[in-house]
Order: sequence, then structure tokens, then C-alpha cells
Amino acid sequence: MSPRRTNAPGRVDRARSIRFSFDGKIFAGHPGDTLASALMANGVTLFGRSFKYHRPRGVLTAGVDEPNALVTLIRGDVREPNLPATQVEIYEGLEAVSQNRFPSLSFDVGAVNQLGGKLLGAGFYYKTFMGPVIGPLKGTRFWMFCEHFIRRAAGLGRAGTAKDTARYERMNAFCDVLVVGSGPAGLKAAREAAGDGGRVILLEMDPLFGGSARWSGGRIEGTDAAHWVEETVSGLRELPNVRLLSRTAAWGYYDGNTIAATERVADHKREAAKGEPRQRHWVIRAKKVVLATGAFERPIVFAGNDRPGVMLASAAARYASDFSVLPGERIAVFANNDSAYANAALLREAGATIVAIVDMRAAISEDARRLASECGGELLTGHAVVATEGGKGLTGFKVQKFDAATGSLTGDPRVISADLLAVSGGWSPAIHLASQAGAGKAEWDATLQAFLPPKPAQDWTAVGTAAGDFSGGHGLDVAPAPVFEIRAGGKAFVDFQHDVTADDVRLAHREGFVSVEHLKRYTTLGMATDQGKTSNVPGLAIMAEALGKPIPEVGTTRFRAPFSPVSIGAIGAERIGDLRPDRLTPMHDWHVGQGAKMYPAGLWHRPAIYGAPGETVEQAYIRETKATRSAAGIVDVSTLGKIMVQGPDAAEFLDRVYTNLFSTLPINKARYGLMLREDGFAYDDGTTWRLAEHDFLMTTTTANAGKVMQNLEYFLDVYWPDMKVTLTSVTDEWAGASIAGPRARDILASVVAGTAVDNETLPFMGIVRGEVAGVPVMICRLSFSGELAYEVYSGAGHGQQVWDALIEAGQPFGLVPYGLEALGTMRIEKGHVTGAEIDGRTTARDLYLDWMLSKKKPFVGSAMMDREGLVDENRIRLVGLVSLDGRPLNGGAHLVEHNDPTALRDSIGHITAVCFSPSLGKYIGLALVKGGKKRHGTRAYVSDPLRGRFGPVEIVSHHMFDPEGKRMHG
Amino acid sequence: MAEQLSPLGAAWKPGRHNVTGAAPGVVLTETRPGSIVQVAAWPGDEKAVIDAIRAVAGLKLPDGAGGGIATEHKAAFGFAPGKFMVVTQVEGIEAELLKAIPITVGTVTGLSHGRTALRVSGPKAEWVLAKLYAIDFALPAFPLHAGRSTMHHDVFTQIQRTGADQFDLYVFRSFARSFWTTLCHAAEEVGYEVR
Amino acid sequence: MLITCPYCGPRDLAEFTYQGDANRARPDPASTDQAAWNVYTYDRVNTLGDHAEYWQHSGGCRAHLKMVRSTLTHAISSVEFVRPHPGHKPSSRRKPGAAP
Repeated sequence: MSPRRTNAPGRVDRARSIRFSFDGKIFAGHPGDTLASALMANGVTLFGRSFKYHRPRGVLTAGVDEPNALVTLIRGDVREPNLPATQVEIYEGLEAVSQNRFPSLSFDVGAVNQLGGKLLGAGFYYKTFMGPVIGPLKGTRFWMFCEHFIRRAAGLGRAGTAKDTARYERMNAFCDVLVVGSGPAGLKAAREAAGDGGRVILLEMDPLFGGSARWSGGRIEGTDAAHWVEETVSGLRELPNVRLLSRTAAWGYYDGNTIAATERVADHKREAAKGEPRQRHWVIRAKKVVLATGAFERPIVFAGNDRPGVMLASAAARYASDFSVLPGERIAVFANNDSAYANAALLREAGATIVAIVDMRAAISEDARRLASECGGELLTGHAVVATEGGKGLTGFKVQKFDAATGSLTGDPRVISADLLAVSGGWSPAIHLASQAGAGKAEWDATLQAFLPPKPAQDWTAVGTAAGDFSGGHGLDVAPAPVFEIRAGGKAFVDFQHDVTADDVRLAHREGFVSVEHLKRYTTLGMATDQGKTSNVPGLAIMAEALGKPIPEVGTTRFRAPFSPVSIGAIGAERIGDLRPDRLTPMHDWHVGQGAKMYPAGLWHRPAIYGAPGETVEQAYIRETKATRSAAGIVDVSTLGKIMVQGPDAAEFLDRVYTNLFSTLPINKARYGLMLREDGFAYDDGTTWRLAEHDFLMTTTTANAGKVMQNLEYFLDVYWPDMKVTLTSVTDEWAGASIAGPRARDILASVVAGTAVDNETLPFMGIVRGEVAGVPVMICRLSFSGELAYEVYSGAGHGQQVWDALIEAGQPFGLVPYGLEALGTMRIEKGHVTGAEIDGRTTARDLYLDWMLSKKKPFVGSAMMDREGLVDENRIRLVGLVSLDGRPLNGGAHLVEHNDPTALRDSIGHITAVCFSPSLGKYIGLALVKGGKKRHGTRAYVSDPLRGRFGPVEIVSHHMFDPEGKRMHG
Repeated sequence: MAEQLSPLGAAWKPGRHNVTGAAPGVVLTETRPGSIVQVAAWPGDEKAVIDAIRAVAGLKLPDGAGGGIATEHKAAFGFAPGKFMVVTQVEGIEAELLKAIPITVGTVTGLSHGRTALRVSGPKAEWVLAKLYAIDFALPAFPLHAGRSTMHHDVFTQIQRTGADQFDLYVFRSFARSFWTTLCHAAEEVGYEVR
Repeated sequence: MLITCPYCGPRDLAEFTYQGDANRARPDPASTDQAAWNVYTYDRVNTLGDHAEYWQHSGGCRAHLKMVRSTLTHAISSVEFVRPHPGHKPSSRRKPGAAP
């Protein structure tokens, strides 16, 4: 017989039909069905093949604890593997495939692994594939040969390669009370908290609120449980201070009473509505948390306990009562506690024949006995199931007399025929979140034979069955006989998903694994996607028995997040496209419109070249450089970090953070400044402009802007709190255009109003204010390129207007825009340093910037910069390089003195920056080499074996172009 | 003076987007104030600075962290110890504040170009913003006219609640287009109108 | 993890930047005592339990905070401004959960 749909009331809406496919075959189900319930309603019992032995597997549970019935969902090109069919809600057109089978689910070649069971025991991989190569079938090399086949045979579903196009979002929430779980205990807690007026959030994993109270019968507060649930939920819905979230699994408990949860917003829909996320990642910060997470029923470990048709008793009852699917026609029950009798009654009520109730206990309660007689069928107390029969589905099982105290089996096995065996091995409170936020270990309860929540390390309480309180619901005693395993030979599974048997656990013990942590890792027990929800306690019990210790002494492992699998997309959430935001200068659209090749500089986008059609990058920057050096060029420098330093102590502050003096800087003048770190190494450089007595505009390198700001704030707050200085990031306040070249002054003179720009009015490092295109500008004459150059600053909102005016004014003078490549070329020719040289390992002396180290005052880094190792003449120091073989140089390449391309040794330094110098007509570079200046005029060899480059270079002064600076002072 | 160009460029798409009902969940606007000015008081001089802001802008700032005040055309709020934002529709408030606040009391810093003002209003404003920021937008926790400094990943933001369902966001100009795109994306679920 | 900024109130860890051990003293800037500078620059205490440290509310008011955090439990037992703000008054936050 196979499972079938019944006419019993429940959650499915029979009025509407949904068509879906499983392994290519079309089925019909109803709204409210999970994939598991819908397939069972269609008579399907075989859902997958097991991880290691490829044994046929069916549905064991009805929820998140499902280890067996894992499927892959396919949406277009996107595959999502390892989803429990018990949690997948069906929608029109859903496409699911089974996993870990080849070529098909019912005929699986890999099932041959079952014959090699002994071979594939615990630690098989470690023993066979690790260690030295001895003979042909051992060791790491053998692994390398076998890996492809094993990876294909063992494992779960296959992840897809197509880009996940679904939308995910994050939601930040705050509340006074967060209730996790909406069973009666959770609903009561939410109702109470809401009554106190606080903000309440209630989370429920299932699409419907109420937990098992919706379908398991019984009474709450004097009324029918299902009715009570309905009333209570609708009461909560009306309250403005309560937010109810269904399909939302709380999976992580973090510091600050922060709970992470995933809401499956549109997973149950054929298509998400426009703008609707598929899943929403909730980060909930709660003052108090109530954990009403319920309890999981445990299987019993016995031979053949994994055969399709063996199901948890509560799951079988739920399929019958909640999903209107009778999972079997002739049902037997195997239990060690009373709760299974209530579930047997529900199954009978739904139309099943209860053929037998097998209870390993000799004596049972009156309530249980009464329920058993109502169910009809045989009651076999003091018995146990020792084997199951059938192929891909259960046809019957064997029982024997059993003594729960000694574990001994007596008498002849008897066969009972049944198509479903409903099993109950007791209940484990779902303490996962409690354990994550617990102080110390979970507490063993000998009566329940289960772990209770530990003492809280954060502000939470556990209620209901999660706290071990089973007094609600059917009211039966759930305390089980302390038996987890029936030892009768044959494969008895503890962890269904990872195919770990009771013998594997004992083997691990025999091989010396005594710690529960090691046992877990060696056998992989509880380490699959279900995280051992059904296997942890039985596994531990078997381990404890092997060790001859009581369970609490063996202890359990602390649970970690996530409680249930979480998609990476949900965690990434709204970070769409690139992971970081873009930073754009005011002239960005112009650059793009001119065909500039944009280059990422941190978050910024900067033009690398403005390439003409057909031009290579090198051709473009050579053209831009030549034009700038012969006429004029303009570059967008808006990205430079800019910090306003204001206050009566601003000048003194700058004296402390820069190596050179700024208090002596006149108003409307700029000065080049260098900062060191506390340890004496070079940190950052830039110019600072004195705009007024107490106002300085500091510029930093683009890359270090944020770090420098933070560093200055640190010194101000932590070491100099009495200084009256305000620091403000004004990087975005100003648009900057640097215009350089022999014609730069002529261009400015033709376009700037309100000020002269001649050498007298605007000398080197001078600042003037005027207007361009009716917009106020500030012009500072300073040069990075070595040319006569000016930086024109305007309000960022006016940056484009000023840029346009400068471009237009420059037309008659041959002005060209240039990008980072030409900028880099000109600075290399001039020997100016950037982050490539100020790399955190170089000192001011290494870069020949010692002239900037003031002796008149202490400054950050001054105390440490003269340490012996930092003043050694033989440190690697800045030099220029000229390629002698006419070939390009590579950044990062090493320099050696010997002319032996094969000898990879004796590096005297490395190259930091390279370009073709249009001015010199050669490939040049900057480098850091031992001794620096002492090597000027000597020959060395560039050695770059990775890129196959070896050749002669001449070491020269880093001032390779216009060393006297005549051009920029002109 | 020449008008400031918006940093939003082509990302600013006026009109209704994914609005299914009668009204959008949120309305998104770039408010383009004439002046955005930061005022900082030296420790102990906060009162003098608050008085100066009142004298110049007619805005009476309440005492206390994150306190603020807003009218139709101007607003001010505290966003850090001793630091305040003053925002007005008219240009030139910076010069007036400079006159009223001597360097012995504090500093005045013009940010009219450096910060972009974005307004999120409508019944779903709290919901949309909660997607982006890890702060509590509920009215009891974020009272009317109060200011907050926070961040969405790398995008530093100052936020003032200027209505029960209205928030004014100040972001760095260079991030504005990227952030605006993110904001529109977040608002798509509830339907939004760009004005 | 939440850190309660004296200005902004409780905020997510993501808004803060760790700024180092707060148990060290910077020598007088003019000091040439290399041993003292060496201790300041390189030596860090590695406390089991309560540890004084600097954090900046970099994604908020940007103030530096000195706090005591247990390296065992992450529990934060005190948070204060590093730079004193005598004029600072906590905001008159209304009772959380109060009806809007």
C-alpha cells in the first residue's frame, strides 16, 4: 500500500490544484502542501538516496529536522540544492529533482556501495587516503586518483553555476520582546508581552501560526486547541505593537540580544512580485527574547530504521491531521514513551488501521493502555523492533521480546506486516538558540532523557516544550525508557543524512576517540545540513554507553549558528551588483561621455586614459603626456582626500601631525607635508593650504583619505583633548581640476575673472580666489606633473561648469584631458612618490624626504624614526631606473647585480612603478634598492622569472626629468 | 550664482515606479537646500553656539544629544557631541553663522556642495529605511525633528526626522548616485514616486 | 554586538572601529626615552577578562570611546567619551515601545 490523500480537514485547499514536477514527472497537489505531503499524497515514498551507501530513503519527519528527503529546486538556470521536501511549499510549475542518484532514483548504480559497508565505515577516507604512499592503493596519491569518482558518488545535491537572479533584502528590527515559535507557549508569551505595551515580534518557521496545537487536538484555556490558536493569533494581529512573521526561521543568536532570522517571503510563489525579495534577512535586536522553539521527536536506532516507511510518530500524525495525507494504510507504532499513543489515535482517526503498538517498556500508563485499546491492533509491551523488511518501501518488520533494563532480546523474532512504522524515541527540546546564547553547558534531564537549555548568558527565557515542559497538548507523559538503540545486528542508523551507524560510533570509540567533539568530526555525526537534529542525542547516548559513562558526563557540543541552512544571498542581502558603493566625482559623466576608460581607485572611479579609437593604453598616455608637457593637460583631482582643520589650535595641531612646520605658513599659501606613523615610518603626504588664520585645507592621497581622517581624530580625541580643533571631511565639498603644462597660465588668464594669475599674484604654492563661468573658484599653484600647474577648486555642484569652461578656454592652446596613466607617467619622470613607495615599510629617509623632518619640534613619529635599523644607509631606498634593452619594465620585479637569469637570489630591491617616458624616449621606472643613491650610474638586472623578464637596467637619480624644477617654477 | 548640478544624474527618474495602489509607499526627492552648514562648539561652549544658531536662523535647538528642530524651509539638529547641522533653503547662511560664531566659541564649515540632501517620505518610509540602516526608526525611539548619525555600509549618513513619516538624509555627494540607486531599489517593494 | 555610544545610544558593532588598547600611555612628545616609546608603540596587554580599549563610533558621531569589554564574554561594562564633553546631555529619549 502507499500513502494517500484523505478527506480529513486540514491546511490544504482542495478546491485549488497546483501542478509541479519531481524528477521530470508531473504531479498535482494543493495550496498548503509541502513537496513532501504532495508527493506522498500521490503515492511517492522514495525521495532520495543516502549520502554514503546510496540507500533508498523516504520521509522521516514533517519539518526542519528532515535528514532524508532532500531535493534540488530548479528555477530557470538557477539550482538550489539540499532543501528538505518537508519545508518546500509547492507552487504552480515547481520543478524539483532528487539528489545523489545516478542514473535515476529508483535504479541507482551507487547502491553497490551498500555491499562494501564494512569498507566505508567511520574514518574510511582518513585511513585510505591520508599519509605516505605505500603500495598502489594507499595514500594521498591514491586519493588524487579516486577523488573525482568519490566526489561524484558521495555527497548531496549539486550547486548550480548560474548567477542567482533573485532579490534578497535585509531588515533591521528592534523590539522589547521577541518570541521565537508560535506554539501555545509562544502565543501566550506574545500575548502577555503585547499586553504590557511593548513592541513584540513573533517568529514562526511554518506558514501557519500555532505549532502542533493546530492539528493535534486537545484543549487550551478551556477551549478547543485549534480554535484557541485561531482566536489568539487574530487577537495579536489586531494589535499595532505586534509584528507576526511566518515562514521566518530564527537561526542565530548573537551578542547584544541580536537574533538573525530568514523570512522566506516569496519562496512559495511561482514568481516574486516586482520589488519583492525572495528572502528577507532579519536582524532583530530585542530587549528580551522568549524561546518557544518546541521540541523534536527522536528516532530509535535499530536495524533497517532508515527504510522508506519508517517515520517519526508525530510526523505521521501531522501528515494525517494537518496535511490530510495518510502516510500508510496499515500502520504500526514503535515507541519508548506515551506520546506515540496520542499520535496513533490521530492516525486511526484519519482512517488508518493500527496493526500493532510495540513498546519497549514492560509497563505503561493507564492513559496509554486506554488509547491503545481505542486504536485496536495488538499491544506488544516489552518488545522491540529488530529489523525491517521490504525493498524501497516497508512491507513489515520483526519484533522480539525486549528487556529495557538490560537491552537483551529473547524469544523468536516475529514478523508483523505493515506499510508504515511510526517511531518515537522520546523528545529533545529544541535548545539550539538557547545553547548559542547560553552560559555553560546544556543541562541533562534524566526524566526526559534529553538536554534542557543552559543558563542564559543573555536576556532570554525558554518556555513550553523548549524548556522541557510537556504539560500542555495531549497531556501524556513523554518521559521515555532510557533506551536509544536496539542492538540486533544489521545497519542501524544514527545520523541518516551522513549515513553514520551505531557501529561507526562504536568503531570511533575503539579507535580512541573519547571526546564528543572528536567523535563528531571523525564520524561526521550531526555535521550534515540538518545539523543532527534527529541524531545528536542518540549518537551521544551510544557514545556514552561505549565509554561506560553517564550521558551528562560525556556532555553535548554547543550548538552554533545557523539553526537551519541559510542562503548566502540572504546574508549578502541588498548588496546588489558590486559589493561596494561607487564614488563618483562631479565630472564623472563627462569622463564617461568622452570615452574615458574608467579605473577603480578604491571606491572611486577615475579616468585611466581618454583613448582615441584604435589607440592602445600606452599610445594614449604617451599622447596625453606629450600634449601636457608641450602645451597643457587637465586632470580631475576631485578624489584627493580633503580635510578642513579649523580652530585656534589648528596650526599647532598640524605641526604635531606633520613632520614639517605649518604654523609658519602664511595665509593663502600651500605647503607640501609628510606624515609619519608612531613607529617612524612614512604614512601619507599631501599639500595643506592655509585659507585663513584658523582655517587649513589639508589634502591627503586618494587612497588614504579615510585612514588619515580617522588617525587625526584619534590623536585629537585621545592624546590632545584640550586642543580646540575641528576636523571635517570636505573631500566631497570641492571639485578639483588640475591644469598643467607650459600653456596652463595662458589658459587660466583667459578664463578666470576677479584675479590675476601671473607669477607675482600667484607664485608657486600661492592661492588666489576668483571666478570661472560665474562660479567662485580657489586656485592653488602646485605641481605633481613637474609642469607649471594649477589646481582649480570649486564647489562640487559647480565642478562640471568650471571644467567645461576650462576645457573650452583650453581649446586654442591645445589643452587635452589626461587620466591616471599619464598622471603616473609624469610623476615617475619627476620621481614623486605615491602609495607604491610609501608602502608602510619605507621611511622619509628611504624616500630622500629627510629635508622635511623638522628638528625644531617633536611630531608624530619623531621619537621612533631615528632607530638604528631605520637610519641604516643600506636600507632599500628610492632610485630611478632606465631600461637598457628597450623593453618595458614590470612593477614588483626584483633587481639583481648578477647577469644570470636562472639564479633566483641576491635581490637588491624591487621596482615600484613603471612607464614609458615620452620625455626620455625610454622605458623607465622607480625602484627601492639597497643603498639607493650610492648606486646611481651603476648597472643592475631586472629579474622577474614569473613573467619571464630578465634584462639590464641603469640605476639613476629618481629625478629623471627636469631635475632643477625649472618648468614648474617658470 | 550658477545652479548646483545634481549628483544623481541619470539615476534620477521622476515619476511613479511599481506603484500598484492609489499612493506610493514612499516618495523620494532630492531637496537641494541652498545651505548646508556644520557648526561645532568647543567643549563647554555648546550653549553659545545654540544661541547663535537661534539668532541667525531662528531655529531653537533643544538641549540633548541628537536634538533637532525643523520648519518648512529650514532645519537644524545635533549629530555628534557639540556638533550641529544647519540647513536652509536660502543660500549664504554660512557667512552669517561665521559672523555670529567667533573662533573662540566654535567653527563653521560649509558643506552645501559636499552633502546631498535626500528626502524619504510616506507611510512606508520607516520600513524602507530600516532595510538600509541598523537604527530604530520607530517614532518613540527616533522622535520628531531628532537627528542621527549612522551608516549604510560605506555610506555615512546624517538623518533628521522632519515628519511622522518623513526623513531627510544627508549623504556625501560622491556616494549620492550610488546610494540613490540603492534607495530606489529598496523602495521598489512598496512602490515609490520620485519627485 | 551592540555598543552603547554615550551620544547615539546602542548601535550595531558595524558602526564602530576598534582603535586599540587603552592601557598604554603616550610618552611626552619631546621625550627621547626610547624604552618608553618602544613600550607605547609595540607592547600590548593581552587580558583575559575585562580589557580597556578605544573604539571610534566611526559610522556615527565619530567620537572616540573608552570602554571596558570582557575578552571572555564580550560584555561591555562601561563606555565613556575619551575626549570630555562637559556640555553633553543624553537625549530625552522616550520610553521604548511607548505608543507613537
